[in-house]
Amino acid sequence: MDIDLAPAIDLRDLVKTFRGTREEPVRAVDGIDLTVRPGEIVAFLGPNGAGKTTTLDMVLGLTEPTSGTARVFGRPPREAIRAGRVSAVLQTGGLLRDITVRETVRLIASTYAAHTPVEEVIDRAGLGSLADRRVSKCSGGEQQRLRFALALLPDPDLLVLDEPTAGMDVTARHDFWATMHDDADSGRTVVFATHYLEEADAFADRIVLVAKGRVIADGTTAEIRGRAAGRQVSARVDDGALAPAISRLRTTASVIDVTERGDRVVVTTSDSDAVALLLLTDLGGRDLEVSTVSLDQAFMALTADTDGTGRSGIPDDNGKHHGAEELTR
Amino acid sequence: MNATYTLVEIKRVLRDPVGLFFTAVLPAFLYLIFGSTIDARDQTIGNGNVAMYVMISMAAYGAVTATTGTGGQAATERMQGWGRQLGLTPMRDTQYVAVKAVIALLVAAIPILLIYALGAWTGATGTSGAWLYSGLLCLAGSVVFALYGIFIGSAFRSESAIGVASGSVVIFAFLGNVFVPLSGVLLTVGRFTPLYGVASLARYPLTEGHLADGSLESLWVPVANVVGWTIIFGMLATWFVKRGRDRQ
Repeated sequence: MDIDLAPAIDLRDLVKTFRGTREEPVRAVDGIDLTVRPGEIVAFLGPNGAGKTTTLDMVLGLTEPTSGTARVFGRPPREAIRAGRVSAVLQTGGLLRDITVRETVRLIASTYAAHTPVEEVIDRAGLGSLADRRVSKCSGGEQQRLRFALALLPDPDLLVLDEPTAGMDVTARHDFWATMHDDADSGRTVVFATHYLEEADAFADRIVLVAKGRVIADGTTAEIRGRAAGRQVSARVDDGALAPAISRLRTTASVIDVTERGDRVVVTTSDSDAVALLLLTDLGGRDLEVSTVSLDQAFMALTADTDGTGRSGIPDDNGKHHGAEELTR
Repeated sequence: MNATYTLVEIKRVLRDPVGLFFTAVLPAFLYLIFGSTIDARDQTIGNGNVAMYVMISMAAYGAVTATTGTGGQAATERMQGWGRQLGLTPMRDTQYVAVKAVIALLVAAIPILLIYALGAWTGATGTSGAWLYSGLLCLAGSVVFALYGIFIGSAFRSESAIGVASGSVVIFAFLGNVFVPLSGVLLTVGRFTPLYGVASLARYPLTEGHLADGSLESLWVPVANVVGWTIIFGMLATWFVKRGRDRQ
């Protein structure tokens, strides 16, 4: 009955710090609050180093939080694991290379008091023809399907996938999600981490956007798409006028991101008409171009201000914060 | 005790011909070269003969190589992510350790049984007590080196570390009075090296403390060596395993 009462995942002010190499501790997870209801399919979306894996490790009881609490179906993660309520597909690594696919499944199956039959799990993960192959001879995609098979063994109510398609080519990625789709009808709660926006968009009902250990946006995929969508306006601006033009643009309300590309200034904005007008009149822009921002570009702009890698090319100043403010309301 | 897990682990051992060569075939070969062919092989030592003395030494060397490999493999496979995979199952650490301990003892028993069989066939003689207790002491002493394997495996975290660990056993064997009888300064130094205690203790039911140079050594010397190195390797293994966990 507790499936109706307790959330699948309940994170309260979750913090994890690691000892840095020499300097001050690194806050990999910096105060995450999150509730996932049973039956939801949630994408944990964020750039590399956003704290996705560390957060999921705490959900799975593989890492102890520095402070805050993680509960899975109302109990401590390790208990939920022991009860077979939750399982996971982890990132690469973590298989024994010298045994076969079937032996791996039998090995992990033997740790459960009760489990889905080994052959059924092998079939559902599409491993039937590979069952007698050594793990070392399986491709990255095939190994990932094996990890998926292992995760199906306890028939979990919550399935956690940590970047399940990392390192796969396009075909393998497609195959993996096709397998996932086939399995998704069962009403299981699924939480997966990814840095591919299209994966989050295609498979999740809800996207939690994370950067630098914090949740910076949380909503349905439609909402996130709506907020993230925008246009790119670019124009040629004379050398002398470039710097004032950029600072003017950064203080304009609709502007999400400003980048300098050669002698052109590239502006990501939610109001392309206003920016185009401003560029052509006050700022002395020429050769104007307007294009639609891809979801990936928008995602990069949104996470760039907390990302710290400077991927958007904007220097560190106030102008950067428009995107996140809009997104988190 | 997880029987399925143990059976798969046994298969892994049998599928590794290189590992079996170094743990069983090589020590057996060394026994045949050093033990069954030398002129002095029929000379009496304590409760048996010289061939038996060499047989026990080589069996101890093989057993120790085996447990070093098993310990090293367990440590590296856990650090390389299998520990995380098992962390997603109800299996407890103590159950994993139990499986690996059984495997280590089984793998250590292979060279002991093989070399003792060769010994019986090629003229090693001794009292039945010497046979039985020396075999059991080889097995028990090899546990010290499982800790050594865990220490090296968790400190260096790679398959090549296991090779280095097993290879270093050869050096310990020379220093530990296992391959050739030491005397003088080398013997004094050798008494402090890790394999000396294990090998001397395993030979004790045969030699009752008599050394190759005719002197008598009291039992506390090898016992102190084994206890000391068990503590040292145990502490190093614990420390490195803990450090590896904190980093995850």
